[in-house]
Order: sequence, then C-alpha cells, then structure tokens
Amino acid sequence: MSIRIKSAQDVLNWPSSDPVNLSRRRFLTGTAVGALVLGFGLPLGSSRVQAAAAAAAASAERGTQVPAFLEIRPDNTVRLLSPFMEGGQGTFTAMAQIVGEELDADPSTFLVESAPPGEEYVVLENGWRITGGSMSVRMSYPVMRRLGALARAMLLQAGAEKLRVPVSELSTEPGKVVHIASSRSIAYGELAQRAMDLPVPNPGSVQLRDPSKFRWIGQPVKRLDAYDKSTGKALYSIDLKVDGMLHAAVQHAPRHGMTVGSLRNEDQVRGMKGVHSVHLLPGAVAVVAERWWHAKRAVEAIQVNWQEPGGDSKVRPMPADFSSDEFLKQLSVAQGTSRDAEKEGDVAASLASAKTTLEATYQNQYLHHAQLEPPSALARFNTDGSLEIWLPNQAPDMFRADIAKRTGLDPSRITVHSPLLGGFFGRHFLYDSASPYPQAIALAKAVGRPVKLIWSREEEFLRDVLRPVAAVRFRAALDDDGMPVAIEAISATEGPTEAIAGKQGEKIDETAIEGLAGKSYAIANKRIAQIYVKGPVMLGYWRSVGNSLNDFFYEAFLDEIADKGGKDPFELRLRLLRDNPRLTKLLQTAGELSGGWKRGPFIAEDGTRRARGVAMASPFGTHTAVIAEVSIENGQVKVHDIWQAIDPGSIVNPAIVEAQVNGAVSLGLSQVLVEEAVYINGKPRASNYDLYPILPPSRMARVHVRVIESGEKMGGIGEPPLPAVAPAVANAVSQLTGQRIRSMPLSRYTFT
Amino acid sequence: MNNSRFVRTAGWLALPCLVAAALLAWYVTREPKSLLEDEQTAGVDIAPNLVARGEYVARLSDCVACHSVPSGSPFAGGLEMATPLGAIHATNITPDRETGIGNYSLGDFDRAVRHGVAPGVRRLYPAMPYPSYAKLSDEDMRALYAFFMKGVAPVRQANIPSAIPWPLNMRWPIALWNGVFTDTGSYATKTTQDALWNRGAYIVQGPGHCGSCHTPRGLAFNEKALDESGTQFLAGALLDGWYAPSLRDDHNFGLARWSEPEIVQFLKTGRNKHAVVFGSMTEAFNNSTQFMSDHDLTSIARYLKSLPGDRQRDGKPWQYEAVSAATQMDAPGAHTYVERCASCHGLDGKGQSEWMPPLAGATSALSKETASAINITLNGSQRVVAAGVPDAYRMPAFREQLSDKQIADLLTFVRSTWGNQSDAITTEAVGKLREKTDPASSSPIILQMR
Amino acid sequence: MELRINQKTYQVDADDDTPLLWVIRDDLGMTGTKYGCGLAQCGACSVLVNGNIVRSCVTPVSGVIGLEVTTIEAIETDELGKRVVDAWIEHQVAQCGYCQSGQVMAATALLKHNPKPTDAQISAAMINLCRCGTYNSIRAAVHELAGMTAQKEGV
Repeated sequence: MSIRIKSAQDVLNWPSSDPVNLSRRRFLTGTAVGALVLGFGLPLGSSRVQAAAAAAAASAERGTQVPAFLEIRPDNTVRLLSPFMEGGQGTFTAMAQIVGEELDADPSTFLVESAPPGEEYVVLENGWRITGGSMSVRMSYPVMRRLGALARAMLLQAGAEKLRVPVSELSTEPGKVVHIASSRSIAYGELAQRAMDLPVPNPGSVQLRDPSKFRWIGQPVKRLDAYDKSTGKALYSIDLKVDGMLHAAVQHAPRHGMTVGSLRNEDQVRGMKGVHSVHLLPGAVAVVAERWWHAKRAVEAIQVNWQEPGGDSKVRPMPADFSSDEFLKQLSVAQGTSRDAEKEGDVAASLASAKTTLEATYQNQYLHHAQLEPPSALARFNTDGSLEIWLPNQAPDMFRADIAKRTGLDPSRITVHSPLLGGFFGRHFLYDSASPYPQAIALAKAVGRPVKLIWSREEEFLRDVLRPVAAVRFRAALDDDGMPVAIEAISATEGPTEAIAGKQGEKIDETAIEGLAGKSYAIANKRIAQIYVKGPVMLGYWRSVGNSLNDFFYEAFLDEIADKGGKDPFELRLRLLRDNPRLTKLLQTAGELSGGWKRGPFIAEDGTRRARGVAMASPFGTHTAVIAEVSIENGQVKVHDIWQAIDPGSIVNPAIVEAQVNGAVSLGLSQVLVEEAVYINGKPRASNYDLYPILPPSRMARVHVRVIESGEKMGGIGEPPLPAVAPAVANAVSQLTGQRIRSMPLSRYTFT
Repeated sequence: MNNSRFVRTAGWLALPCLVAAALLAWYVTREPKSLLEDEQTAGVDIAPNLVARGEYVARLSDCVACHSVPSGSPFAGGLEMATPLGAIHATNITPDRETGIGNYSLGDFDRAVRHGVAPGVRRLYPAMPYPSYAKLSDEDMRALYAFFMKGVAPVRQANIPSAIPWPLNMRWPIALWNGVFTDTGSYATKTTQDALWNRGAYIVQGPGHCGSCHTPRGLAFNEKALDESGTQFLAGALLDGWYAPSLRDDHNFGLARWSEPEIVQFLKTGRNKHAVVFGSMTEAFNNSTQFMSDHDLTSIARYLKSLPGDRQRDGKPWQYEAVSAATQMDAPGAHTYVERCASCHGLDGKGQSEWMPPLAGATSALSKETASAINITLNGSQRVVAAGVPDAYRMPAFREQLSDKQIADLLTFVRSTWGNQSDAITTEAVGKLREKTDPASSSPIILQMR
Repeated sequence: MELRINQKTYQVDADDDTPLLWVIRDDLGMTGTKYGCGLAQCGACSVLVNGNIVRSCVTPVSGVIGLEVTTIEAIETDELGKRVVDAWIEHQVAQCGYCQSGQVMAATALLKHNPKPTDAQISAAMINLCRCGTYNSIRAAVHELAGMTAQKEGV
C-alpha cells in the first residue's frame, strides 16, 4: 500500500514506529556551510546571537547585531551572512563591497553566504526580510554600511586593548588595525575573537566614511562567485546531499486542484528498479528511490485516476475547458466595476470635447519564470525531531513560518538553509502550490530518512506560477496641436499580489497596475483603473512584476498618440517631460548614446531596412530610457541594438549594474519576441523549452548602457532595466512595418 | 422531339432505373448474414478463459486505441476522428444496454465487427477497420464477444453524433463501397505455407489491421489490397499527416534491412537499432503490439519478411556514407542539424544504439513521402510506453523554434546526407503540415482496457 | 559497467539507457554538470566525450563505455580549459551561474577544434541557453580567447 499524505501535519501527528535515521554529520558535505568555524562568529543559534536578536527589532537598531552577520577567521577571511539571497543579481558582492568599505576589508577577502531566518537579519528600511522588488541594496544601504562601521569600531577597541594604546591613536588599513605612532599593526583575524565579545557600540556613535573616499563602493569590483560559477563548484539546492539521503520525484495532477483517486499499477511501480516507496500527496504522487533517475522514471509510470476537484477544494482549480486565448478575448471585453488607481482632471469631459480622440486595446501573454535550475528541496528530520531544510527561497523567514504552519513544529525547531539560486526572476517567493518543500518534508517524515525532491522540468512547468495577463482599453484625447490632453487606461486583470494573497476588498493591487499608474508624462487629465477579473491560472511575480506588461501597453499606446498627433515619439516624450529635468536628461542621454535619435525607417550599412523605437519606464525607484533598432529577417523581428540609459540615483558596482541591464534586456527581448505560456483544455501546451522557447543567443541584441548617477535616492537595479525594452522594440517594429503592435509576443505576428 | 415521344422514351428509361433503384434499395438495406447468428449467447455462462482470450484478441485488434480516450472509461468511445466530410466519433462499445452494445447478440456483434453493419442496418464508416476484421476467425469472434460482454465494465455514456452534414451523412452508399472493396469470409489458411506464416498472415491482415495505415488507398479511400495477393499490400501509405512505411521487403522504404528478431524487438519494445516507433505507430505500439505474445510477434515478422519488395519503386539501395555533419556546414540546414539534432542523432546520423534512432537510412529520410519527417520535427513524439514505463528519451517539438524554411532546409540536409538520397523538402510542405497538426503531448498516454 | 571520467576509471551500476548526466551527478557525486531540461534544449548538462561536446542528459550511459568523458570538474586540468575559465572570470560572465558549466564546456570544445573561430562559428557552437542573459559577455569572452589563441600561434 502506498501512504496517503494529506499534509505534512498529518504525518507529523502520526504515531510512527519508524526509526528516524539521521546523519550524525551536522553539515552538508562539501559546502562552505560545513567549514569549521575557526574565528568567533559562533554557529547561528548560539546564545550570543540569540541574545542579540532578542534585543533587536527597533528600526534604529536594525543590522546592529554584528556577531550574527560577521565572522573573521584567523586567515583574515571575512565571512558575511547576507540577509539577501544570491540568484545572479550580484547582491553577495554588493554586500561585501558595502560592508567591506566601512569595515575596511577588501571585498575580495569576503566569503558571503545567505543568513538563516531571524529578526536580526531584517535590514530593509520597510522592515521586511525578502530578496525581491529590487530592494536589497537600495533599502539596506545605510544599515549595511553601519554594520561594517560597527564591526570596525569593535576591532579598533580590541586592538586598543591588545596594543595598550588609546583607541583614538588607532586607525585601520584594509584587514588590519594600525598604530601609526609605533608602526605596529594587527590583522583583523587576530583581533576577531576578542572584538566579537565586546558589546556592540551605540549605532549612533560610528562615523561613516566620506563617499568621496570610497575604495570599493562605486567600483567594478569582481564578483565573489565568479570562479566557483565558472568551474562547476558553486552549489545550488539541486546539488546538495546529506548522509543517508533518498531521492524523490513527483507526478502532479494534470490540472491544478485535481486530487489523487487511485493508482492503477502501484505494484508494478513498487517493483521497479531502485524504488524505495510510493506516496500519495495532495494533488500529486511521489516515488522515493535510491537515485533520482529511478524515482523519475517510476513516478512517470504511475497510472493515476485523477479526480476532479470537489466544491470544497481549497486551491484554485483549473477547469478542463480553460483556454488562455479565449480568456484573453474575454478580458478584452470585460465589463464590471472599474476602480480608479490614479485620477487627475476630468478625462470624460476632455474626451467628450476633444476633436481628435483615439482608442486601442492591448493585451499580453502568460509567462513562465523558466529559470534554468528546476526547483528542489532537501528535508531532514534530526533525531530530536527538529527539521532541517535546504530550499531555494527569497524570504527564509516567510518560508520558515509557512513550514511551521504546515508541520505544527515550533519555528525554533526548523532550520532553513538558503543555497544559491539557479535563476531568480521572482520564481522563489512563497507560492502556495508552486514549491517542492511541503512534499519533501512530508516524504522525509514518511520514510524516516532525508529526502531530496527534484521537480523535473515538466513538473515545474506544470506548477510554476505565471506572469499575469491583462487586456487594457486605452482612450486618449488630443488638442489642436496634436498633444495629448487626456489618457484613460482600464485594465481588466488580476494582479499577482491579489492572486497570491486574495483580493483585498476595494483596495487596488498596485502590482496589477504599476507601469500604467505612476507615469511621469504631463498629461492634464488621466484615469488609470482596474477591472478585477479573477482567472484560474496561479499567478506570481515575474522580474519587474506589473511593469513588465504595463509599461509595454502604455509606451506603445503613447507612440499611437504621437502618430495620431503628427508628433515624433521621442520629441513628444521630451515635451511631456519638459518640467522634469531628471527624465529629460535621461531621455536625451539615451538619444545621445544611440548616436542621436532617428526613427527611420532607414537603410543600414548592410542594406537592411531598419527602424528605431523609444520607450521609458520608472520602476522600483529607478528611471530608464530605451532605444531599440530592429529589422525583419526571414519573417522574424531582429533586434540589432538596445541603448539603455538608466538613472538609479547612485550605484555600488557599475559592472554588475551593466550585467543586470544586459540580463534584463535579454528577458525583455524574450518576452516581446518569443515567449508565451499557452493553456489549451486546462493544460499547458508546453512542458519544456521545446514548446516554450526562451531567448536563444542568436536573438540577443547588442546592449549599450549608460548609467546616470543623478545623486537622487538610490533605486533598484535587478528589475528596472526590463520594462522599457518590449515597448521600444514594439514601437520600432510598428514604425518599420506599419503594423501596430498591441500584444506580445511578436512571434504571433506575420511579417514579410 | 415532341412531348409524347419524350414521355415514351422517358418511360422506357425509367423502368430499368426503377428496377435498379429497387435492387439498390434491397442491397443497401439488407442485413448481412452472420454465421454466428444462431448460436445461443444470451444467458449462457461465458468461460473465464474465453474472456481472457477475448481480451488478447482485443489487444491484437487494438480496439482501445479508438474506442477510449485518455481521461475516459475504457471503451466508452469518444475519440474524434477527422474525415474530409466532418468529424466522427468512436462509439461506446461497453456492455451498457442503453448507450453501449449491451443488447448485442453474438450475431449483432459479428455483423458490426466483421461486416460493418450495426443493428438496424446502420452502416459503420470504414474508419472502423471491418474490411480487415472480416478475416477474424469465428473462435476469435466468440472470444472477443465474451470479453466485451463480461470483461468490460458497462458505462453509460451517450455517443456523440457525427458532424457530417446531410446529404453526405447518408450511410447507404457504404453498402456499395463494401460490395466493391471488401472481401468476405474469415482468413483461409494457405496450405502452401507453414503454421507460423499463416498465423502471421492472419494477425497482419485481420485483427492487426496493419493495412489500415500501411496499405495505400484508392480514390474511394479503399485499401488497394487486403492480402499478399496484391503488390500494393502494406507497400506504404500516407495517412493523417504521417507516412506509414512499406512493410515489404523493400530495401529503402521497407523492412529488407531488418531481421526477423529485429522486427520482433521493435514490436515488443518499441525500438531497435533501425528505428523507434513514432507518429501513429506509437499508439499501435503502446496499446497493441507490445502485448502480443513472442510467438505471434515472430509469426508477424515471418509473414512480413515473405512479402517481396519492388526495386523499381524502392530505387537504388541505400548505403551508409560516413560523413560528419560538422564538416558540411556550408549546406543549408547543416547548421540547424548540428545545433538541434546532433546531440541525439549524432553528427554521423547514426543515432545512439536503440535509444535514439538513426537518421542515416531512416525510412522517413528516404521515402518520397515527406510527411513523417516534417511532422515529427514540428511536433515531436508521443511517449513510447513499453511494459508500463514511459521512454527515457523523447523527441522534442521544434515548431516554436524553427521556421518553415529552417525545417525544410534541415530535413533536406538529412535527406541528402549519409547516403540518403531523396527529394528536397519545400518550405510550403512544412507550412501546410504546420497548419494541420498539433504538438504531441509530453505526458504518457496509457489507455486502459479494464 | 566501467566508465572513464576525467582520466579516472569508475565502476557504476546503471541501466544501459540511464542518461550519463544522472550517473555523473548521483552515482559519482559530481554536481558541476547541471540538469536543466532533460531534453537537449538548454545545454546546462554539456560535457566532453572524446573532446566533442555532448549533452549528457540525452546520452545513454552505455554509449560512452570505452570513451573519455570530461566534466567541468576537470576543466582546470586542461590548459585550454583553464584559459576559458580565466576568460569567464575576467569578463565576469556568470550571473546565477547555473548554465555556466555547460557554457564553459561548449567554449572549450569549440576552441579545441577551432582555435580561431569566426563569428559565425562561434554562433553555431555557443547555443546553450542562459536565462540571466549573459550572452554578450559569453561572446566577449570567446572573442578574446579566439584572439589570444591567434596571438599565441603567432598569426
């Protein structure tokens, strides 16, 4: 008999006679986590750390529990536990730069790992612990600098004791405390043990470095993970193993919400090579085996009688007749209450009185995250009943709380490890049914051994949460000069936040309309509204979230306005930003970067006919302007160049910023050119990259980046360079072909 | 011509017409005689071993492939079949009395299966392969009946009416078609051949209905031959966007290069060193051939190997020519091959043992019919489920990644390399099939018989 | 069966049709070679077999018996492989890094066969997917390696 598990809670409540066979080895083999702790920085959870944590919380004291963050080893290596997860965005390196700058330690001497859950690691100004929203650097910058400065002060104090000189006579050079008068110095590694036993100084007592004297902040410091990631040494969740570990694979219900009825061939599957056991899970079946390949083949062989979800189903069921194309058609004609997200002037009156008006309906497509690392989770119950889990995540505290809720375990008995993420893009937020860890926990408990569960690519595409879709009805009114005096956008959509957390009454989900709302163009009358339409698809955050679709809609329609009014779209934008010097400069910079704005069509040197498009976006506190140059090659859109000017206020690492712009451009091109998740009969048409192509190298554009450090409040970097890419390309294609582009992806259009 | 003469002439002409019409009416509404008509069936206990034998006959006949749908109950019908006239749906053949065949006597059942006539003289469309099933033995018919009456659970599920519009939906002309194109009488043992050959001939021509796909069809959609007496029998045919290759001793398009054990291996495991089942054959393999006994598979191989090839039709015998695709990069399509195909099928076109089929010498790469090559490239393969375990490797679908021209160039390259010498594939041919076909599912599809 | 991987001989107990990828990762514990799609679509699992680039997720292990398999774990023991790694670091190619083992293997295979590839040849060989969009950095790194090779040979 297979074991039917309704939830991990069920399992834990079972009186189990199975011995819990656990590894005696505390740490993962081969990971830095397992390295012997040589300096101070006691293992997490030690009483020193906990005492510090208990005192934490008040925002003024955020990020002041120095021993919780830092360990300096005798060899002067600085181990930093980062409150943020590294998923390619370079945050580990940025944190080393920021902390190192104030600690006075070269970032290259840092070893950075993800911090466990814990109040002491809440360093964002909004009080969250999450890696996302392009928040990490911009919202923790002063706190993380202060952390470095506090640690430096403690090292100085320890140095004063050791050298028997007043602390005022001491200074630091990278990695050491220096007494100039006596030409003596002591390496941090020698002082660390004593320093960390000292009380953390008053946060207000430390002086931060004058930015003009920065050595590392603002420099293209090399990524700390470049070597490991170029030699296969970097370890991701999927790579981890512990002693005695079994492997697991699952087969999910073909449609979300369906439940396991019965298995037709369980005996056969249990008899397959390497199979340890067969399990029934909510909405899935699982096989645990000695090898993942055996588990995967066996679980695929299970013939399940899936049952339609009952009326009491707690999950959002996917109907058998759902078609994404049909759903988009419904959205484009959706009626119902529209709620205003942004309103200025009198749009209705302006539209009614204007001689020239225009209207258009735009829509977009569902998208997968399609990160290259398939999700996995490794769960182990220790002999004392505590749970250790390794899993990809963007918010360890939220995951721990969720695990506590699911298992009934006290959070203190749950250890969450957060390995490197093999792709970020918003995939590893807490999504109810889109992560393998609840299954891994249930299986580990059921078999009494550690279990690593990997979702095959196919199972991942079946349960990934998708980037939302919208249909936006635009109307605009022009004055006699052809300038827009009114714009209205009504978006029929469901935002990711309201999809995840549930509709919050009358409140508008900002993630649904950001990018339609919040535009800076001086148009006197505007109304941005949402018609909430709940769909059956499980939704999630996708790099740049609402902006990824909404800036496409708005900026493409703005080109329609320009054309209707007889205006050049670049000039129109400049005029609408006349009173905004920051964005005016940004747009002009993009123009200059591209060699001077020219819209085309024109004939390029190689004889191809090309055109350019422009678009802007201001997501996550950063402003961007993008120009794209396109041609049509063998019926496909070819994007030759992307010029992007980006103003994030100020930056920490220009090389990483440029890499992030490249990455965001790649994802922006991918969504506008090739990507779409299509549902037919309630099932995704694609289960792998064959039918869900992502941007291949052959379709990447050259990318030219100009960073403007305006000195304004620091903005985000990971997501902001994405949203303006799609509309810039779409506008260029419209100009080149005369065909209006009102939807993505362009692979749905025919070009000759 | 005056009126009276016209009337007279018309009258003379009308008479034979009326007679013909009457004869026709009699012919097309006549219920064929079942030889099993008089056998007592109702109320008789059916021996369990007869049910088991019937289940095996149902496997041989692959009834489930059409009469079940993946998410539905066994044999409750529902599979949509596109015809040029409109869609028709396979019917419920569970023993439900209202919606299925629960009221069928053995004679009724026999008339439907072997003659294509359901009770009430309702003529079945020859999508039901009764021209082949006609060859079933009486014993197998009794067993099959026993299985459907006792081995299959009754399911109440109404049949879906056909979407063929009037007047095309009139079925009486099928009787005429039957008169011209079907043989009557079950398989007659050929005394000049041994038992193994005869068993193979019986399965291939009868329950296995191999000719439904592999025998070319005439203008009236009739199979051009129903047994080895016709040289067109199993000579390869195009159906539903796939080219079912020759099963005769043709060197290039047929089985000449396959040994008997290799044929057996193919039908039993879905693969051998020459090929892996794909296209419509995946369904035939998943639901039927792999369940056949080794003896029956051997008999099939023996019979097929006895069917002579046609050198004229087959052309110059293919011979492998060693060349690495990587050295041919100037050829259009070679680039795509190296990028997309070589990982599995090899730069040398030889595939990987029986796991990834060779393209060098592959029927789809040699045959004049290009549908299979295009179709599998556009849409990928369904999962081959052997002994209950889905395949380790499947062919991806490239329709979202490669344009019509890229696919045409790629396949043209494949068809002109490693000794393959066949016609180029046009961009238009790819475009046409792209419109008409859908990608294969990556989920294993396993149809249940119980 | 007996396998030759990174110049060492291993005895493994695997079915003939098990993908080389899973033998390397699970049986031999070398996790530098990544699973991305299992369908030869992404290239994260690229390894060298007798110096040729191969996608180990679609390579039945029985097919490499008697052949020399090289994985990312041995990349630095190869002079060219070491240079590729250095170029990857110099150009700061990696972001999330998950695909980069495969990218480094692909670049190494390309340059082994063709020390001075043309742009078209680079495009034909460097086809592995990267969701982080490191394509331009990869191209820059390979360009530089191609140039260095040319210089070394005094061309």
